[in-house]
Amino acid sequence: MKMKLLGTAVLSAAMAVGVAGQVQADDFPTKPLTLVVGWGAGGSTDIQARVLANVLEEELGQPVNVVNQPGAGGGVALARLANSTDEGYTFVFGTSMTITFGPLSTETTYGLDDFRYVAGVTLGQSAIVTGEDRPFGDSWEDLVAYAQENPGTSYANQTALDRMIIEYIAQREGLDLRIVPTSGGAGMAPLILSGDVDFAYSGGTHSGYAETGEMPVLLSLAEDRLVAYPDAPTLQEAGYDINAAEIRVAMVPKDTPDAHVERLAEALKAATQDERFIEVTEERILMPVTWMPEEEVTQTLRDQVEGYKALLEELGGLPEDE
Amino acid sequence: MIGFDAILNSFAAALHYESIAIILGGVLLGYIVGVIPGLNRAVAIAIAIPLTFYMSAYAAIAFLIGLSKGTAAGSAVSAILLNTPGEPSSAATCLDGYPMASSGKPRKALKVGLLASVIGDLLATLLLIAVAIPFASVALKFGPYELAAILIFALVFIAGMAGGSFLKGLAAGGMGVILGTVGLDPETGAMRLTFGFAELMEGVPILPLVIGTLALAEMFVQLDEYRRNKDASVIKLGKNADDDLSYQEFKGTLPTIFKSTGVGAFVGALPGLGPSVGAFMAYGLAKRSAKDPDSFGKGNPNGIAAAEASDNAVIPASYIPLFGLGIPGSVSAALLVGAFMIHGIQVGPLMLRDHPEMLFTLFSGMIVASLLMLAVGWYGLRIFARVTSVPPHIVISVVIFLCLAGIQVQGYGTFGLVTVFVFAIFGYFLKKFDYSFVTFLVAFIVTPMLEMNLRQSVILSGGEFSILLERPIALAFVVFTVLMVLHLGWTSYRRWMQARHKAKQV
Repeated sequence: MKMKLLGTAVLSAAMAVGVAGQVQADDFPTKPLTLVVGWGAGGSTDIQARVLANVLEEELGQPVNVVNQPGAGGGVALARLANSTDEGYTFVFGTSMTITFGPLSTETTYGLDDFRYVAGVTLGQSAIVTGEDRPFGDSWEDLVAYAQENPGTSYANQTALDRMIIEYIAQREGLDLRIVPTSGGAGMAPLILSGDVDFAYSGGTHSGYAETGEMPVLLSLAEDRLVAYPDAPTLQEAGYDINAAEIRVAMVPKDTPDAHVERLAEALKAATQDERFIEVTEERILMPVTWMPEEEVTQTLRDQVEGYKALLEELGGLPEDE
Repeated sequence: MIGFDAILNSFAAALHYESIAIILGGVLLGYIVGVIPGLNRAVAIAIAIPLTFYMSAYAAIAFLIGLSKGTAAGSAVSAILLNTPGEPSSAATCLDGYPMASSGKPRKALKVGLLASVIGDLLATLLLIAVAIPFASVALKFGPYELAAILIFALVFIAGMAGGSFLKGLAAGGMGVILGTVGLDPETGAMRLTFGFAELMEGVPILPLVIGTLALAEMFVQLDEYRRNKDASVIKLGKNADDDLSYQEFKGTLPTIFKSTGVGAFVGALPGLGPSVGAFMAYGLAKRSAKDPDSFGKGNPNGIAAAEASDNAVIPASYIPLFGLGIPGSVSAALLVGAFMIHGIQVGPLMLRDHPEMLFTLFSGMIVASLLMLAVGWYGLRIFARVTSVPPHIVISVVIFLCLAGIQVQGYGTFGLVTVFVFAIFGYFLKKFDYSFVTFLVAFIVTPMLEMNLRQSVILSGGEFSILLERPIALAFVVFTVLMVLHLGWTSYRRWMQARHKAKQV
């Protein structure tokens, strides 16, 4: 009798816990969520995130507030997320470069293993571009030949990552380049359009010039050829074994419960099929929408970090340590 | 190039009732902000920018421009009625406005101020439309060499023109330069003066710096003054028959208004000088060229007209370098850049080509804003005057709240709040010891741009000075800068000699 009672108690307790656990999992989210953007208001990440938040709000049945935490190329937001303990209620929507190359090029308080990558939803379209009427035309091969004969050919860089890539290429091809720093597409565009600089890195600005042809693409930095410039080869096709593809991912702290991650992933997957999200991504910021589940995106990011490390070693340390 | 039809279409868009309502909202809000002592334009724009997230690009910019124009006109009201400029640039308006108002003619003073404001603003807007477009089409000729040379010139020019002690100007500018270099080195990625704060990697955030040094510090100064003088006298609008503006009197101020608009437009077109300098320069010019210079400071309508026309002309003129070159000519122009960015528009040389319709709709919106300003000011004189009788302790606490809320809204977090307070204290002492915060701010804003362009120039040219011979515009500005330095050096040397001479005689 006693045993039976105890047994019942244990059983019911177990059931209660089980039910409670299930309820918790099913109920996420039970309060408003915060989508953190690591860039200032008005950039392409911010614009996209605001639409994403609207779509997620409907999918999750809770308000999703967008908060900008600009600084350090998205790094400030990640540093704060790494310390977040609210189990997926706060998540960051950002670019992969912040988490892959960020910790390699600057001192950071976080690393790749501090987060879970819920999903990748957009593919970056970064590229190496040039202007109209250049002596080398608009093919990568001709540029390399031209630069080999003309020491002092100029390149405008924007990020630590593209600087490393171009230094690696310069080393391999024996180029003597003048690498000028510039900030963002707004700083790069006048240099390319006026002809002051021969070729440059572009995060996405060139997509806006696809129709006028004023900014031809020499090399795609994405995994595949660019949507708007199908004629330009990728890094791999040109013979450089580098995967620098930029992916826009949603990230949560590493100890976020599985159930929460799954629920977020479900909502994100629905967002990638939502017309509004597709419109803002493919028509306003001109990047293709994609769907990369947690496992796939995490593996890709891990491979990229390994690749960058190998590249840095080959270059003999960080570009700035020369 | 954009066709004439498109220009007409953009004007039609600005005359749509929805656009008019939005611009009116901006002008009204700006006017109120302008009237309230201590609340200024830059803060109003900074606080309003997040409000515009959910507006269309055109509505947002039109709203902000209406706001910006409204503040310039509104600030004259409190300058005239309370002797407290609603805007630092209206300090010159107090000089004649307050004496006229206290001699029983407040309505006349307000009307002179309003008409001068609107005319100055409208003429400078037309100038912007005429000048910014041809300017923008040659803007691609302004490469890193030219921009670096112009920025150096601007820095020297501002340091020389900002007034006050030469050494104090140099110190304030130096502080700005040092703070402007904080963050990652653009070329090597090395950390400079970040002291381990990831938040500083992209430089000292501009908004907390601006709100701290301009708004919060001003509140501290006001608080200080309020503590000493708790009852500022309020002038009631009288029923004096002499208290109205006759057509003859208005006509008499027109030459001053035109001249001062010219001064304001010139000052506005040069990056960084700002409306305060414009207003004081125009006031000085009007006084010097008047037949009766002694009547200035005692309620001369020309004094009010000069200060207000110039103050208001600076605002649209400061958009000439903004739209033509991407260089913000004033703090509020710099804040507008952010507002454009939110709506995906890169302000600068390429704007005319990439967003011509936006540019023309904007221009027409600016003209509409000028006219609405006249209507708002004319019918609202009495009502707006009452806003100034809100007790300062309420104004000050509300403003401090708004400043901090603005930082929080922008997502700067605790770090932003700390930054604001640090710069509030810093700004308080700048003001107290009469260091030019104009020079400080301009140096801070110009430094990162100057550094980037200078380094680009050095790398691209391979460090050869002879590149200047191929770039005549850059060469010209380098020569101007050298001449300016020589001139500044010579005048301060002469002043020093005179002072020494006098000291000997005593």
